[in-house]
Amino acid sequence: MPASLPGAGARPLEGIRVVDFSWIVAGPQCTRILADLGADVIRVENESYLDSMRSGMQVYPDRPSYSGSGMFNNMNRNKRSITANVWHPGGRTMVEKLIAQADVVIENFSAGAFERMGFGMEHLKELNPNIIYISISGFGHAGIDTTYITWGPTAQAISGSTFMSGQADLPPAGWGYSYLDHTAGYYGAIGLLMGLFHRSRTGEGQYIDVAQCETGMMMGGIAMLDYQVNGRKYERIGNHSRWPAIAPHNVYRCAGDDRWIAISAETDDQWLALCEVLDADELAADPLFATNLGRVDAQDALDAAIDALTRKWDTRELMYLLQSNGVAAGTAQTTEDKMEHDPQHAAREFYPMAPHSYLGDRRFEGLPMRFSRSKWEVVNGAPGLGEHTHAVMEQLLGYTAEEIAALAAEVAI
Amino acid sequence: MTGALDGIRILEIGDRGEQAGRLLADAGADVIRIEPVEGSYGRRQGPFVGDRPGSERSLHHAYMNANKRGITLDPSTGDGAELWRRLVEGADVVIDSYPPGFLDSIDCGPEVFAPLFIEGRLVWCAITPFGLTGPWKDWEATDLTSIALGGPMMSTGYDDHDLPPIRPDGEHSLWMAGEHAAMGILAALIEREQSGLGQLVDVSVHEAVSVTTEGAFPNWEYKQALVQRQTGRHSSPTITARWQFQGSDGGYVNLMGGGVPRTRGNWKELMDWLNEFNAAADLEDPKYEAAVHSDPMQATVERARISEVIGAFIQTRPSEEVYRRGQSLHLPWAVIRPPEDNLSDPHWEARGFWAKTHIPEHDSEVRFPLGPYKMSATPLELRRRAPLLGEHNTEVYGGELGLEARQLIVLAGQAAI
Repeated sequence: MPASLPGAGARPLEGIRVVDFSWIVAGPQCTRILADLGADVIRVENESYLDSMRSGMQVYPDRPSYSGSGMFNNMNRNKRSITANVWHPGGRTMVEKLIAQADVVIENFSAGAFERMGFGMEHLKELNPNIIYISISGFGHAGIDTTYITWGPTAQAISGSTFMSGQADLPPAGWGYSYLDHTAGYYGAIGLLMGLFHRSRTGEGQYIDVAQCETGMMMGGIAMLDYQVNGRKYERIGNHSRWPAIAPHNVYRCAGDDRWIAISAETDDQWLALCEVLDADELAADPLFATNLGRVDAQDALDAAIDALTRKWDTRELMYLLQSNGVAAGTAQTTEDKMEHDPQHAAREFYPMAPHSYLGDRRFEGLPMRFSRSKWEVVNGAPGLGEHTHAVMEQLLGYTAEEIAALAAEVAI
Repeated sequence: MTGALDGIRILEIGDRGEQAGRLLADAGADVIRIEPVEGSYGRRQGPFVGDRPGSERSLHHAYMNANKRGITLDPSTGDGAELWRRLVEGADVVIDSYPPGFLDSIDCGPEVFAPLFIEGRLVWCAITPFGLTGPWKDWEATDLTSIALGGPMMSTGYDDHDLPPIRPDGEHSLWMAGEHAAMGILAALIEREQSGLGQLVDVSVHEAVSVTTEGAFPNWEYKQALVQRQTGRHSSPTITARWQFQGSDGGYVNLMGGGVPRTRGNWKELMDWLNEFNAAADLEDPKYEAAVHSDPMQATVERARISEVIGAFIQTRPSEEVYRRGQSLHLPWAVIRPPEDNLSDPHWEARGFWAKTHIPEHDSEVRFPLGPYKMSATPLELRRRAPLLGEHNTEVYGGELGLEARQLIVLAGQAAI
């Protein structure tokens, strides 16, 4: 087996330059992936229109800083930052020069905002005929409800993702975070990589319009078909499995404060192995639970019986014992479990360390893919606000120090 | 029309790679879904047309394999292995989602084909529950256990922690892995344009899920704080105010951010709405309008009171009205829809989001999503419904590999195809 850890060769997107107007989570998630893969991602920022992630979630609340957010650091590592005032002619010219040298322009403003800033697709093509422009918005730039505003939970609610989470007899549990902000970033990256591949073969750029709500709907397509074909409206199922119907398939309480284990046993052999590990001869012998059909029909009684037994177990101890007996089982892991006690993540070095100018050496979430010849890496933490303005203007765009100082004096950059 | 991946041949084998294959097929790749002779797991998974199981009646299969061709193959038979070798030699990409080492154990895996991606142009993407390396690589996993181990579960559930944390339904762990597999494959294909070489891409479901948990990561890394699950809203180290309410029609709504407007203009419109129903309570007091301009990150008594009055009011209104009227005030509010309700929202039709087709064993046309991006130069399109079992055996083995009809009969007789 060839080596499959990062560190092998070059990063696959080296040489690709991205002008990044995005903010909050969905856009930065997309460009985080591109930057990990080697693209030169240049954030275009402005203090009067600041990415609120810079000011939120301060690591040191007593000395707040635009570089003081751990959330921002993790989401924007490996990127560069310039400041520009696009409402000033000098600032706009600078940004337009940058776009002319770029491969990709990305933004995730509300639909129409970027065009009102003067950067519609037609103008971007004038600046750079082969540009790939990608927008990520809640409802997309085409359609009827394009002005609607979404945050992650809004899109989750519309798409069906919220409704599809939770117990049948309770309100929706939804997702405990902005799942579709991340998903919108993932699909943005997929669409962008498709666009880059097409351009590498043909030289042709394009416009890519991502609608965050649609990313959630993509994952609900089977339920939509069930409704159209069978007339069945979606009903929540808690932690059970409906398609296929297998039991046991649930999350059971373990010893300690709020500790749980997920167990799913698909075959009779796995069921008997589960009973043996739990030392439950009476369950193994119960004819009600002898077949999957019986276990599915008596699932509530089955769950209660298992739950009564798992309560005395340490969740990790039980997980290891069940896995060594061929039963799919997993601790409901906290982030502490994942980052400090997960030997799989440790072995694959999934939380690499990198330096940050204000927050010091910190761990970052890795990129969930390994290449045998290429690599991804986290080289640096997130950039300070405007940290690379001079470098980009001088080295990339050919401005002199005097010109830069003059533009700075006019608050153009 | 031209898809971005036109001319790219992808072999998809195993049952955890359907999402990645579907995303790439929607963009024009020629994805060949390789199924066991008796059919894939998804054909038995359901739901089924008319609730009657049958290999051509699975709606899971119909959705996950749209835009793909389908052939049957058992590479563990001698002749099957030879067919597999010839298919791999003609492919750009293999998506292999068998457990680590399975294809190698029958001499049909990445060990045997390594020269094709070390010296050749093949991209071999393995999608496995924990990755190809590490102490857990051979562990069992289902979507339930993956969502538990990766972290989304401990962030998701109810205020009442006597209730278990929740796995959202929909095989999301496989979507998360499929999305990252698609990215990894595309990055490798882009790099191949320069180097002329392929490579192995190792995608772990556990890692893809673990990276998709947002605030839980910085809370631990920077504050040594663990987030706690809450009903219908973000998990948090501390308890936060509710966002989710039930409308007068029984439907739920999400009042993201508690419902406090962001500008004075929106404040007036909100007050007009409340006053229509005599529901403004004490909000006419100017201190509440002033509070609209306070820092939204600061929890104030006034903001809490505004949220309380709005929360009480919207429970007297139908959920769809709350959504539409709230959005007209530029508030990021939403109705919590079951997935099927989007079929009747004209916005998606206007965007051209739906693929429309017929599926086997069902008379009427059906609609379902294609990849969620509109691409101006390389539009996505539905080119074919999901394949029948072995539908393209003759086309692929006969037409493309050049086997004669009598050879196909022999191969079928030995259950190699």
